Amino acid sequence: MKEKLKVSRRGFLKTAGAATVIGTTGLLGITKPASANVGELATLIDLAKCDGCPDREVPACVSACKKIKEGKIPEVADPIPPPFPSHVKIEDWSKKKGVSNRLTPYNLIYVQKAEVDVDGQKKNVFIPRRCMHCDNPACVTICPFGSNLKHENGIVVNDQNLCFGGAKCKSVCPWQIPQRQSGVGVYLDIAPGLLGNGVMYKCDLCADLIEQGKTPACIEACPRGAMSIGPREEIFAKAEELAKNIGGYIYGKNENGGASTLYVSAVPFDLLDRAVEKGPGKPGLKPVKRAMAKTDNAAKAVLAAPALGIAVGVASAFSFISKRKDENKKEK
Amino acid sequence: MVKHIHEDKNLMLRHEAIELAEHWIVAASGLLLILTGLFQLPFAARFNVIKIPGFAWSANYVTSLYVHYIAAAVFTFAASFHLIHHALLGEKGMLPKKGDMKESIAVIKSFFGKGEEPPMDKYLPEQRIAYVGMAAIMAVLIISGLVKTYKNLFAPDLAAWAILWATWLHNISFILFILAFIAHVGAILLKPNLPMARGIFTGYVRLDYARHRHPIWYARVRNTVEPSRSGETIVNCEENKRPVKSRKHRKKI
Ligand code: HEM
Ligand code: HEM
Ligand code: SF4
Ligand code: SF4
Repeated sequence: MKEKLKVSRRGFLKTAGAATVIGTTGLLGITKPASANVGELATLIDLAKCDGCPDREVPACVSACKKIKEGKIPEVADPIPPPFPSHVKIEDWSKKKGVSNRLTPYNLIYVQKAEVDVDGQKKNVFIPRRCMHCDNPACVTICPFGSNLKHENGIVVNDQNLCFGGAKCKSVCPWQIPQRQSGVGVYLDIAPGLLGNGVMYKCDLCADLIEQGKTPACIEACPRGAMSIGPREEIFAKAEELAKNIGGYIYGKNENGGASTLYVSAVPFDLLDRAVEKGPGKPGLKPVKRAMAKTDNAAKAVLAAPALGIAVGVASAFSFISKRKDENKKEK
Repeated sequence: MVKHIHEDKNLMLRHEAIELAEHWIVAASGLLLILTGLFQLPFAARFNVIKIPGFAWSANYVTSLYVHYIAAAVFTFAASFHLIHHALLGEKGMLPKKGDMKESIAVIKSFFGKGEEPPMDKYLPEQRIAYVGMAAIMAVLIISGLVKTYKNLFAPDLAAWAILWATWLHNISFILFILAFIAHVGAILLKPNLPMARGIFTGYVRLDYARHRHPIWYARVRNTVEPSRSGETIVNCEENKRPVKSRKHRKKI
């Protein structure tokens, strides 16, 4: 792992250099902006391997995640301050920490089951779900407190010490991944009734473990080796190859403008999407575009505005000056 | 050249068309930025803004960011235009001068009936101070906003320190901007300042107001721009204790 990280760091420097170039040319509308933001790590989830751990009460990845994150969420305030106005609801999962069949602040990965018909045969597909660690995620870019950050290695991490729990990240995530726990976080020290409502929690790919050169808990725990992590190019190549070999499909490559989590499945994802149970904390598998892409041109206009303003200002000042000169001549 | 002093209509030109356009473009886009900036906070759904007819879009962060961008582009364009245009023309009438602090205190005192206002140039000393304050707030908003915009387009993994600085400078300066805006409109609504209000809508203020309250400005326009139109060269105002002619003539009118 350490070895790999070193190699990919060099790879990252290359991408960073390229990003600067793409960044400047992107201003002129030559390239798509999202392509500049290639993180260095990626994960692969091979749905042909995952069997949902039939012999366990809770799938191994889910219990490993629960175990490693135990105690990470601070003690919840008792009572949790009621938010104003009253239609804003408290979300308290602290008394339901055991829930493992959906995403909650205390359950950052869960396994979906999809019963599908493939060529007249019934088949069960199991799909571990968590944050996709997207390439240009709106959950990060529009966080008004700079609490949700994308690390250089592509991992998206929310800082529970800065988050106010406004759930903006959740509403712009195509899968509504981040989950709120009320009664914790900085908002308690400011104006708990009026501002904020807790902290948002989601998978951070065990960023602290990765920093130590270790593997995320869920990946490490999987008895079937269904998930893997590595340098982005390697993982992407592996996913392509796997998909080609089984005549299968990839989910995550283009989703939300591209993500660093790739699912490979022999069953088409639209079939899986129809088959899985969807709802709060239970995301679907539709192909999703990056919603913020609609604002990219307006953003480019903003970046061009200072130069444009200066250019027009210079032009108009000189036209004023020459007009003034003409008038002075006439008066004489 | 436009006529500045209209004795017959009792009017005096205070702002030219280009200045009116600059003011209202900045004001309109600034108000839109305040609104859509607030909508960038998890605010609209919580405080029922979405229930106001016509505001259903306010809780959609993509839409409000789009409008924020459009307004920011206009605002940034107008601000940089303003800066360079007036700098090149050497128009410095809004920049603070020595003694503005002391004079502005005298002006404020006079509002409470203590003492008399010093004779004033085109702008009140506190207007010149406020101008620099507003310009500084706007500069911070624009620079931090540009960093945020760049991050959204090209660098979601921008260094944490840069994101945190941009975010918090934007948040602090946006609160200051709202306060400055309220103070600005509040100041215009004060009785002695109210005659200036028509100026920002029509370009003209009452001539008798200009003569009495802005004798330095009036004298300069009378003596340099339109001396040929009148025999009068000295400002005629009893309240004016200081000789106006001794003041250095400035380029800005
Ligand atoms: C509805 C909103 C507004 C109203 C009614 C208003 C009114 C006025 C008036 C009457 C003046 C003329 C003062 C004079 O003749 O000396 C003025 C000047 C000015 N306004 Fe506004 N304004 C508004 C919004 C804004 C906004 C949003 C900004 C800034 C972003 C702004 C910046 C300025 C500046 C820089 C001046 C130059 C003179 C000064 O500082 O007083 N105004 N405004
Ligand atoms: C009157 C001026 C402005 C006000 C009152 C204002 C207010 C706000 C507020 C309250 C937010 C949400 C909090 C946050 O994300 O930090 C915000 C976000 C934002 N503002 Fe402004 N803003 C102004 C001008 C600008 C300008 C001039 C730009 C660009 C040049 C800009 C770019 C942005 C961007 C991109 C965001 C989205 C959040 C992000 O990407 O981090 N703003 N603004
Ligand atoms: S999956 Fe959702 S929460 Fe995770 S990075 Fe993407 S947008 Fe953010
Ligand atoms: S990914 Fe692995 S650990 Fe998780 S459910 Fe599937 S087989 Fe079990």
